[in-house]
Amino acid sequence: MNNQVLLEPIGKDEYELFFGPAHPGSGNFSVKLKVDGEIVTSARANPGYLHRGFEKLMEYRLPIQNAVLSDRICILESLNWNLIHAEAVDELMGIEIPERAKYIRVILAELSRIQSHIIWFGVFSIGIGFDTGFKMAFGYRDYILDLFEMITGGRVYSAGYICPGGVRRDLPKGAEEKILNVLDKINEMVKLEEMGNPALSARAKGVGVLKLEDAIRLGATGPLLRAAGMRVDVRKEDPYEVYDKLDFDIPVRKEGDAYARYMIGIEEIKQSMKIVKQALKDMPKGEHIAPQFKKPKLNMKIPEGEVYVRNEGGRGEVAIHMVSDGSAEPYRVKIRGPSFLHMISVLEFLLKGVQIADVPAVYWSLNICPADLDR
Amino acid sequence: MKGNLKNEEQLLKEIVSNYNVEGKIQREKRVWINTDKENLISICKFAKEKGFEHLSSISVTDWIKEGEYEITYHLWSYEKKVLLTIKIRISRKNPSAPSVSSIWDRNAQIHEREMHEMFGVEFKGNDDLAPLFLDDWQGLPPFRKDFDWREYVKKEFYNKDNEREVVYRE
Repeated sequence: MNNQVLLEPIGKDEYELFFGPAHPGSGNFSVKLKVDGEIVTSARANPGYLHRGFEKLMEYRLPIQNAVLSDRICILESLNWNLIHAEAVDELMGIEIPERAKYIRVILAELSRIQSHIIWFGVFSIGIGFDTGFKMAFGYRDYILDLFEMITGGRVYSAGYICPGGVRRDLPKGAEEKILNVLDKINEMVKLEEMGNPALSARAKGVGVLKLEDAIRLGATGPLLRAAGMRVDVRKEDPYEVYDKLDFDIPVRKEGDAYARYMIGIEEIKQSMKIVKQALKDMPKGEHIAPQFKKPKLNMKIPEGEVYVRNEGGRGEVAIHMVSDGSAEPYRVKIRGPSFLHMISVLEFLLKGVQIADVPAVYWSLNICPADLDR
Repeated sequence: MKGNLKNEEQLLKEIVSNYNVEGKIQREKRVWINTDKENLISICKFAKEKGFEHLSSISVTDWIKEGEYEITYHLWSYEKKVLLTIKIRISRKNPSAPSVSSIWDRNAQIHEREMHEMFGVEFKGNDDLAPLFLDDWQGLPPFRKDFDWREYVKKEFYNKDNEREVVYRE
């Protein structure tokens, strides 16, 4: 795995080593490590390879265009970003969303979370040399991508399916049944994950321990905080859409190591499946989009004001601060991605003192995405 | 506005009476406070003591017509389950603000580092404001309203002699 490694002596017995951006397991991101023998003495994150400046781009575009832009923020969970952008505009414009649209939004956000957690399992597996896990994960993920293709029209990017006012189209005929069939498939995958591969647990147990006080201090959210022993979830604490009507648990573990985070991922997939099943059962009939958005008007003004909306993404807390000065485009959009802190402050902290061989294990156990770090 | 706003009202009352600032309850779980940069650190310390352990994000808005930057600090309390937003306004000329990295540590430090890079705001007391995303950037901080990226892209990335690119330049 170390064919892209660059070694440069910087002092007696100390070397500088680049992890990424060409490392097969790093994504579009790199960390500069200082190593003494096999031990990492310090790490410095070097992001920016995927910086596309969405915050600035959105200031020049209408909300209906930004909806399409928003799913590019994180490639691996485009629908969650679609959702939060739509929520920000809805709240600023004071739009009442039809009940059915809320349920469809929840179903898609949860399917997106499952799919993103499956990728997490896949990349974590390949990071520690368990290739079968990677292939298994990406195979099962395709069932969900098939669903996305059927519902939104796009496999990875939903092209603004969740738009201000509701969702673009109603669920197609027979979608409920197909979703349930796919959930059965995902259940198979979860059972395989739960079998507890000995190689995986040996490489992950006790590695990259993040204690609760450090997690809070460094700004960790979502699965990282739950793996460190805190029962937090934006869906429960700051409910949006219809999450306050649905029944689900927040999995928590105390250890805070890579293995605990991996187990949290599996538990969350199960909870998400539970949510999808409930939402499918409770979903009322009716409109899928608010009447004023049925035929989108291009010059629709956003009333003056500002909002801060928070959601629970697959990777942690996602949030948008949207400011409007009364024109058709938003005046300022601040996007807060969970990986922004997970990949800089948390990663730099956890890498200190680990062996070089454990760097990928720590890195991928954090459930990170360079795309939502750079935005 | 719906639901029980007891937590929010109590919080707002405490801050307003202690620091003589303006504030409002926007809706359930959202409290917004306006203050100035002299009061910022003491209000932030007070908020941290009251359980606002999580700094969700720091954002800067460029109000170019008024010649001001607005810095917003979004704080979340795991205990109270309320989002407290503190807003300050600073001048656009030599923009500087006190750093809250002494209160929220590395979390605040990295948010400030990004805002310094994108808006050029100097955070006094933050010891690491090295560039995060942009390598060797010399021009205006790019998220400022007076930086026109369309002009920049036309100038930097299109070849004048290539007639196939004329359509992009016009």
